Amino acid sequence: MKQLRIAIILLLIGGLLTTTAFFMAFFTAEVQQFGTVTVASELDTAFQLVSVGDNGFSYGRPWFSQKIFYFHVPVAEASFLVLLLSAVFAVRFLMTRKRSFDTKSRIAMETSLVFVILTMITGVLWTRASWGVWWEWEPRLTTYFIMMLMMIAYFVLRNSIEDEERRAVYGAAFAVLAAINAPISFMITRVLESNHPVVFQSGMASSNLLPFIVAQVGMLMVGYAVYALRMSEERLGERIDAAKEALEG
Amino acid sequence: MADEILRRTPPAERTKVPGLSLRQYKAILRKDIVMELRTKEMVTSMGLYSLLTMVVYQIALSQSGSAFDPRTIAGGLLWLAFIFTSMLGLNRSLVHEKDQGCLEALLLSPVDRPVIYFAKASGNLIFLLIVETLTIPVFALMFLQQGGYGGSWWMIPLVLFAGSVGIAGVGTLLATMSVNTSGKDFVLTVLMVPLMYPLLLAAVSATSAAVLGGDGSISQFWSGIAGVAGYDAIMVLAAYALYEFVIGA
Repeated sequence: MKQLRIAIILLLIGGLLTTTAFFMAFFTAEVQQFGTVTVASELDTAFQLVSVGDNGFSYGRPWFSQKIFYFHVPVAEASFLVLLLSAVFAVRFLMTRKRSFDTKSRIAMETSLVFVILTMITGVLWTRASWGVWWEWEPRLTTYFIMMLMMIAYFVLRNSIEDEERRAVYGAAFAVLAAINAPISFMITRVLESNHPVVFQSGMASSNLLPFIVAQVGMLMVGYAVYALRMSEERLGERIDAAKEALEG
Repeated sequence: MADEILRRTPPAERTKVPGLSLRQYKAILRKDIVMELRTKEMVTSMGLYSLLTMVVYQIALSQSGSAFDPRTIAGGLLWLAFIFTSMLGLNRSLVHEKDQGCLEALLLSPVDRPVIYFAKASGNLIFLLIVETLTIPVFALMFLQQGGYGGSWWMIPLVLFAGSVGIAGVGTLLATMSVNTSGKDFVLTVLMVPLMYPLLLAAVSATSAAVLGGDGSISQFWSGIAGVAGYDAIMVLAAYALYEFVIGA
């Protein structure tokens, strides 16, 4: 019960932090600029106009679609971390054969899949706004998509096995194989030429960094809370099953 | 059950003879080859399947017109045929073992698990290579008559071998899992295609470079081969480490 209470508190704090980050992204974070726009005459606009001699005025074109960064990246990083957590539990299961590790690995995989799907949705929205296409077969997107397919395959595999012990072992083995892709997907934009932005190579203004960190901390809390809530649900389910069996005798 | 008996046997009692693993490896591999020579089932079914794939390709390309050069997609078509053919073969090879109780007997015998893995994988690799060797001339005859072959003669065998090592290595592990599930072939497909993605991408790139030739094809070929080799190293190692757990479950 104590764990459940911690999970609920973390969920609330995490939700608060991500919401704060959402507002910060729009109100305090500096608007990133993407090229400049030149206009013939002075306009009434919130952007800072710069006179360019005879050619009129220019202003930095605001890059509003960049705002999704404060949500998309924290969710994506949480998805990688939770997937690696799942693989760690899988390895520990294979070493100790304790059922609790298998349950933990499965629940972590579930949580990670939720985050992966959220990343996909925000990512697709962003590529449409920024690149003009819904999808591109580009190294990061592709490896991430493959990672999602493997995580779905993990559940297909589990659901098609009757024997509990075998289901756990096969699931753990495949979780390890799937998790090999997580660092590859994370590093690939830094190794291969890719359209996907690598933000932390170029550095960031502090007004942009702050909402990002708030969102990242919040998202990790939400991630842990979702995981812990599902775990306690799972434990309750197990107790109910045990009670039912005892009653039926 | 079998695992239990083996676990109870202290390691010291298992006879330690130098070169024993190699002899065991040869024995298991020989069994697979002898069985294949008697039934001719794997190579026939895989070869026929691959031939039928070529027929389907013909249908797919039938409306492409005379200006279209199939050489540009030859690498993709070839590896598509090989990946699906290999899944058929891998499934067969393990279903036999299971249905006839051979796997149980193998587990009962005092053979190290990695030896079983490498022997089964080598068997699958050999059959896959035979089918590939049969497919290539047919494919060349059907689709590559105009334009000819751009690279050196050894390029295609090299990429075929490197790619097949990965397919057989990972596929043997996945097929060992999937034969014990309720949806055998389906589960193998769902597990295998995402996991094979990096290998296929690199292999197709190398094969295309070999078929088309021209400027920069050598460097494209070698970077493809490097990708395939890296994948082989990582994944075969992972499969080797996980096989012991999987086959015991």
